[in-house]
Amino acid sequence: MKLNVDQRWDLIDKISKETVTFGKYRHTLKDAIGELTIKPLTGIPVAIAVLYAFWSVFGSFAGTLCTDGFMVKLFDGHFLPWMQDVFPGAGGWLYYIIIGDPLADNSFEAFGMLTSGLFVAIGVVLPAIFIFFLMLALLEDMGYMPRLAVLIDTVLHKIGLHGYAIVPTILSLGCNVPGVTATRILETRKQRFIMMTLLAIFIPCGAQIGIMQEVIPDTMGWVLLYLITGYFIFGFILNKIIPGKSPEFLIDVPPYRKPMVSNVSKKVWARIAGFFKVAIPFVLLGCAVVNVLYLLGFVEWLGNILSPVFVGWFGVPSATVGPLIAAFLRKDLAVAQLSVIEMTPYQMITAVVLVSIYFPCVATFVMMLKEGAKELLGALAALVVVLFLYGGLIHLIGILLGVA
Amino acid sequence: MAEKSIAPIYFAILGIITTAFGIADILVTAGAGGFSYGILEISCDMFRGGWGGIVVLSAGLFYLSGIRNFEDIHQFSKVVMGSILIWIISGCDIFAMITESIPGGEDGPWFNTLDGFLGTYAPPYAPAVLLLPFSLVAVYYICKRKSEEE
Repeated sequence: MKLNVDQRWDLIDKISKETVTFGKYRHTLKDAIGELTIKPLTGIPVAIAVLYAFWSVFGSFAGTLCTDGFMVKLFDGHFLPWMQDVFPGAGGWLYYIIIGDPLADNSFEAFGMLTSGLFVAIGVVLPAIFIFFLMLALLEDMGYMPRLAVLIDTVLHKIGLHGYAIVPTILSLGCNVPGVTATRILETRKQRFIMMTLLAIFIPCGAQIGIMQEVIPDTMGWVLLYLITGYFIFGFILNKIIPGKSPEFLIDVPPYRKPMVSNVSKKVWARIAGFFKVAIPFVLLGCAVVNVLYLLGFVEWLGNILSPVFVGWFGVPSATVGPLIAAFLRKDLAVAQLSVIEMTPYQMITAVVLVSIYFPCVATFVMMLKEGAKELLGALAALVVVLFLYGGLIHLIGILLGVA
Repeated sequence: MAEKSIAPIYFAILGIITTAFGIADILVTAGAGGFSYGILEISCDMFRGGWGGIVVLSAGLFYLSGIRNFEDIHQFSKVVMGSILIWIISGCDIFAMITESIPGGEDGPWFNTLDGFLGTYAPPYAPAVLLLPFSLVAVYYICKRKSEEE
């Protein structure tokens, strides 16, 4: 059947009469609250409250309840002594790689593949990752994330990005791998490059945050402050030196909705499954590789060579070379290793910041390579410059404050 | 009519108290020493006292900015937002108590004893927890407004 123009308009009128209700729209309470969360004056306090809730629930669930409440007891009190007893050949090289120090009385210090490796992966990181992704899924499904994107748009424009960049940034706080993939929502190559570089350098993943919460709870705030400051300083510089466009963005802000249990559970499960596939093998492998390098004397050799840079320029002990090697495999593992090295609190802050801004973990590295070899090389070049400049600057700040 | 005129007065008083609690939270944190009086306890740690204090202060300011022309939906939403901020902070404090009350401690059994469990919920409480019951009055006005609209 072919309709002429008049007939088409008649049909449109008929359909709209049957489907559209005409009337004066009245603002509901939900609309008014939605507006409050977008306007800067009222939206910023709300964003501060939401982030407070995010970290409070994260710390209470992952730190107080799961890790300190049950996992430490399980691993240190039962699993570690049992493994130390039943594994044959105490003192041998295989024992050192798999179980670690036979005299260690806690899983952080043992540093074996099946002791510290499993404790870090299951006892510390898994609860942290679970609660992080649960909270993130709730915020996404509730409709808060687009509002946060609108709220932060002006600030992110200063570093060549726009409000949508909050999505890869927050995803990277869970795991850098989906964060790198999420940079595809940005329109230009310049924006994608800036975002990828910034998240590879300055955004600690949920696993690393979980470990930091466990080993440096009192100074973690300073580490995060240094990273956030670096994110904006180097973002601003990259925006000035990278050619290309940073366009505006148009976003449809949905109304607030009640999250559906099935949707949230599907999202959380998909992300946790990714963690099982990617992170756990790398944590175990990381322990094994670092232990082998220690046994071969490579870490000590490298520590001696790099000592002037580490001690003189960064102001940290040369023993931090080992954790930096582990950081290439897993950053959470590297922070766990740092916790057993004797350092002043400020050296610890510097060392953890260095672990964060040092090379991205191998899984992120592979993901960045998939996005483009040229981008990866550019990001790595920026990373090396940032590592030396920012690492030295943090040491200088420590000297000026008299704490380094 | 009387009920309508009571609401702005009630939320004005609540706003002043909430703002005072928020300022106290920030000052106590800045002073780096905890404060406890009766059932009230103000934490001196940067997270709960400092960051949380900023949110409690914001809640107070939301209440105070929403009381004028209370019947207007945009003004009323500010009062509701003040209560939501209180619910967020107190909810986090209560959740922290729950997670603390379940495990049995470093050298103790797996799970807490009944006395230990109940003891975690005993006073003193953070300002936001004390403000929680008073902030719930906003729920009454939300329901009332909804029924009037219907």
